[in-house]
This record gives sequence, C-alpha cells and structure tokens, in this order.
Amino acid sequence: MSVGEAELQRDRAERRRGLFLALPSFVYMILFFALPLVIVLVYSFATRTSSGSTSLSNWNLDAYRKLGEPIVRNVVVRSIVLAVITTAICLVVAYPFAWFCAHQRPNVRNLLLVAVMIPFWTNFLVRNYAWRILLSTGGPLSSLTERIGIGETNLLFTKTAVVIGLVYAFLPFMILPLYASIDRIDGRLIEAGRDLYGSGSQTFRRIVLPLTMPGVIAGSILVFVPSMGAYVTPELLGGGKETLLGSYIVTQFLTARNWPVGASMSFVLMAVMLVSTIIYFRAGGKNL
Amino acid sequence: MTERSGSPSNSHAAVSLRGISKIFDDVTAVDNVDLDIADGEFFALLGPSGCGKTTTLRMIAGLEIPSAGSLQIFGEEVGPLPPNKRPVNTVFQNYALFPHMSVEDNVAFGLRMRKVDKAETARRVAEAISLVRMGGMEARRPAQLSGGQQQRVALARALVNRPKVLLLDEPLAALDLKLRQEMQFELKQLQREVGITFVFVTHDQEEALALSDRIGVMDGGRLLQVGTPEEMYDAPVDRFVADFIGRSNFLHGTLENSTTVCLSNGDRINVPVVDSDVIAVGDAVQVSLRPERVMVCDPHEVPEGHARLQGRVATVTFLGNSIVYHVQLDWMTVVVETDHRPDLRRRAVDDDVALWWRDDAIAVVRP
Repeated sequence: MSVGEAELQRDRAERRRGLFLALPSFVYMILFFALPLVIVLVYSFATRTSSGSTSLSNWNLDAYRKLGEPIVRNVVVRSIVLAVITTAICLVVAYPFAWFCAHQRPNVRNLLLVAVMIPFWTNFLVRNYAWRILLSTGGPLSSLTERIGIGETNLLFTKTAVVIGLVYAFLPFMILPLYASIDRIDGRLIEAGRDLYGSGSQTFRRIVLPLTMPGVIAGSILVFVPSMGAYVTPELLGGGKETLLGSYIVTQFLTARNWPVGASMSFVLMAVMLVSTIIYFRAGGKNL
Repeated sequence: MTERSGSPSNSHAAVSLRGISKIFDDVTAVDNVDLDIADGEFFALLGPSGCGKTTTLRMIAGLEIPSAGSLQIFGEEVGPLPPNKRPVNTVFQNYALFPHMSVEDNVAFGLRMRKVDKAETARRVAEAISLVRMGGMEARRPAQLSGGQQQRVALARALVNRPKVLLLDEPLAALDLKLRQEMQFELKQLQREVGITFVFVTHDQEEALALSDRIGVMDGGRLLQVGTPEEMYDAPVDRFVADFIGRSNFLHGTLENSTTVCLSNGDRINVPVVDSDVIAVGDAVQVSLRPERVMVCDPHEVPEGHARLQGRVATVTFLGNSIVYHVQLDWMTVVVETDHRPDLRRRAVDDDVALWWRDDAIAVVRP
C-alpha cells in the first residue's frame, strides 16, 4: 500500500469515527426536532373538519389563506411592533452595559457577566409572577411612585408591562453577543479614529458601530425572534387583553381546535426567523 | 534633567515638553521629562519596553493626558486637548487600519472627519496613495495587504492630513528583518520628501541610529540623554545609554578632576573633558570602553603616553570580519574586538597582552 493510500484510508476512518460520535445528537435532533417540524408542516396543509378534528386528506392552502385575514394580520402586525419595540429597548439598554463590561478588569467583567445570567437560575414562570407583583396596583412600584408624588401607577395588564417583561426576559440575549463583539474591537482602532480628527460620536458611528454590527444583529435576532412568539409574558403581564402571535397559535390548537391554522402560523413564524437568521449570517460573513 | 546636547533654543520647537510626567495609579511611567524636538527633525525615542517612550508619544498624540508639566506643539499648549484637536497624526504599532474600510476609505478618513470638500479629498487621497506607492490597491481591504503594504497605508492615512508632527509607534516592529531594512530606507526618504517632523518610538538601537537626526534614550520613565546618533555612541553620559546603544566595557573608578579618572585598580587615566553639570568631581563613575576601540599588543609595545591594562587572553572568538577576545585582567574581564586582517597578529588563548586606547576613544558615564 502506498503512503498516499494509507493517508487516504486514515482520513476516511477518521471521518467515520466522527460520524459515529455525532450519531446520538443526529438521532435526537431528527426524532425530536426535524420530525415534529415535518408533522407541523403536514398539518398546515390539512383540513379542519366541522367537529374540530383534523382530517389528513383533502390537502389545501386554506390555512395559509387565513393568514391574509384582517384579524390575523392585526395579530401579526401587533406582535411585530411589540417585538421591534422590545428589541430596540434591549439594544439601547444593553449596548452601554456591554461596553462597560468589556472595559473592566477581567475579574470585574466576569462578575458582571455572571450577574447578567443570574435570572436564568430561577424559573421563567416564577419570574413572570414576580413581575406581576412588582407591577400590580398597590405593589412595590406603585407605592414607590406614590411616595415620590407621581401618583399610583397601574402598569399590570398593559402593553408597557408586556414590553417590560419581554425586555427583562431577553436582555441577556442582547448583552452577551454585544459584549463579545465589543470585546473583540482593537482599542487602537478607536484611538486611530480619534487621532484622525474623529469626535467621540463620529468615531462611534464610523468605526465602533460597524465593527460591532455582527453583535448588534445577533443580539437583535436573539431578542426579536422569541419576542415575536412570546406566550407566557404577554399572557401573565398583558392579561391576554391583546392577542399576540404566541397566544393566537395556542388558541388555534387548544381552543379553536383549528390545527391547520395553528400549524401554518407556526410554520410561517419559523420561516421568518430562519430568513432573518440567514440574513444575519450573510451580513456577519461580510464583516468578519 | 540632564540634556547634554542639541536642545534647540528656538522658541518654536515642533514639540516641546517641560517637566512632563505621567502617573498611572501608583506607577510613574514618565518622570519629569524636558525635551525639545526641532521642526523638520527625525527624532527617535529609544529605550527598552516599559521605559515610558510610548507613553511619552501618546501624550504628544493626546491619547494620554500628562499628570504634570507643559506640552507645546509649535508654541501652542496642547496638554489637555483631545487627539482630534491636535495638529499631529499617529502611525500606530500594528497600524490599526480600519478593517471594514478599503485602503482609499482608510486614507480619506481624516479628511472626511474634518469635512474637507470631496474634490480636494479625492485629490489628496490619490496623492498620498501614490506617495507611498500603493496605486492600484485603493479598493483592497487591509486584510488583503501584506505587512509592508499595511505599513504604507498607515503612513498615507496619517500624512494625507498634513500633520505638523508625525508620530510613529514602533513603525517597523511588525515587519520581518528584510522588509524592515527596506522600510527603514523608505521612511527616511519619505521624511525628507514631506519635510514633516517625525517622532518615532523604538526599542531597536540600530533602527534609531540608522534613521534619526537625534535620539533620546529613556529608561525607567526618565529621559537619560539626547543627542545625535554619533554623540550618543561616542559620548554617552550614562552607563545605561552606553550599554543600550552598542556594547561596552565598564571600568569602575572615581572622577578626580574634569580630565582624570582614578580606576579601581589605582591607575589614573586621562579622559575627555567631563561636563561638571553632568558629573561632579569626586563622584563614582564608570569609563565606557567600546570593544572595537581597544587595541591589543604585546605587553611592552604600548605607544608612549597611553594608558594601558595588562592581561591574559581567556577566549578567542572568530566572527569572520572580526575577532573577539576576552582578556582577563586581575580585576576584571575586558571584551576586545579587532579586525580580522592578515597584517594584524592573531592572539591565542593564554597569551600575555597589553590593552591600550586613545584618550578620546572612551567616555565617562554615570554608573
């Protein structure tokens, strides 16, 4: 056997071994992710019978057509607006914090980053109930504003409460990618910008922001996507007054028993998220 | 501070530092530095890492604010001004080119920030790019350039702004040896062409000697000596300077009067006149004896009227164009470097020899 052949054979063996090691995760992902997704897709083309069950025959696009109806469109638009607001607030709040973190001594920054992740140690549902108490009439926030003299506030079951809850829930997803991209910037580039007659804000706009764009986009997607489909927070803090996409899908499955519509909406939501993720990687690829 | 020579008295020095200090937390990075750099000069700040040279440069650039002292550029106090308000530009170590911009946009950056009109910007950018011979590369990103090309773009990006002073932080350190030598030559050429004052920081003594009109050697935050390359080599006033620029032997002794040193073995030798402002009579001093300025001969052949040292050859090292002897005296070892020529007798290990030198070949330095 020639040397080249031996090399080739070893390469092949190595590839086989890699595949073997990755097999469990492959199987898991196919079984619990890809397959259910296919089922959702299949159901979105099915028909709802008058009794509320789903007939797996008679394939059609009715469920997708329903997405064009004004009620559904309103739900979608409302969800997008809310997700955009949430993302924007997260971005504005997270950027300075991430910047601050990246410019601390290593032990301080680690402490800060751990602090960012502390909320994850408590159950998401519990945290939402905590916000209910905080925001309720006669709750801590309300008594605080009353004492200051602004008067009683009643934020619970408002859009504001939902935004507060979503920002709170997803802020870490904005902070971490921003921190990573800010941390990567060579400080000398900022100095060079200042040296070349850039003011602080010009240097930020022309150098820092473009270089941290991958972090901005990654963070925005990570906040926007779950905000779009959020269910628990709008239910608990918004009181379900205004239907958002997440609640709407749940309603379709559990209450209206219209599985095809629920499935089609889930699928469209996923497609939107997939497309935005692809856009992110394209944009990131150009910059890195 | 002791500046031995070459401070221009001109009131419009390009850069003028008076009592400049920089203290970080509890570390004094730069300690009470006085320095004048003349207009059009190619000036090197030379020293080992951590000596304060880069901090000094950064203070001139405005990237650090001095803790104390006065810093003037062409007579204008700039101490507290931010970098964008100073008529200086910097070529950063590793160049700090903006990775998300083309060569052209990098070079145009400073002009755009200052809102120079478009036609003028385009013209000056093209001019700067051709000055550093980077024509045809305008659309490239920094990552697509070699080290030498990045260096040129960094130069163009700074020079396009026509700064009154160009600061260069270890401009050649990132290049490999051959390219470094090439760029040395180009840098010198470029400075002559544009006529701008260049201040550069380096830890490489050869680079400093080859490039600069004057050198300032720093150590431990202090500016030890300023002078032309020849002055720094021939007449160092500080042991650190003599040791950092070239190599030297150091004979311990005491300054008896301005032209005599009593060595620690009791010999008295004549030395070039010592400036009493720098070293006082009675001070402990060292005599710097460059290896290539020491002559080797047979014990009794030292020419009349010269100081001599008796010793025995301990090692002989052949280096091609020269031979290095370690000569063991009874109180120290002296390194001697002689030419390798057929007409010079080669000494062998254990030969008894005498060492001598011309009185003007040595320098008295602070220990």
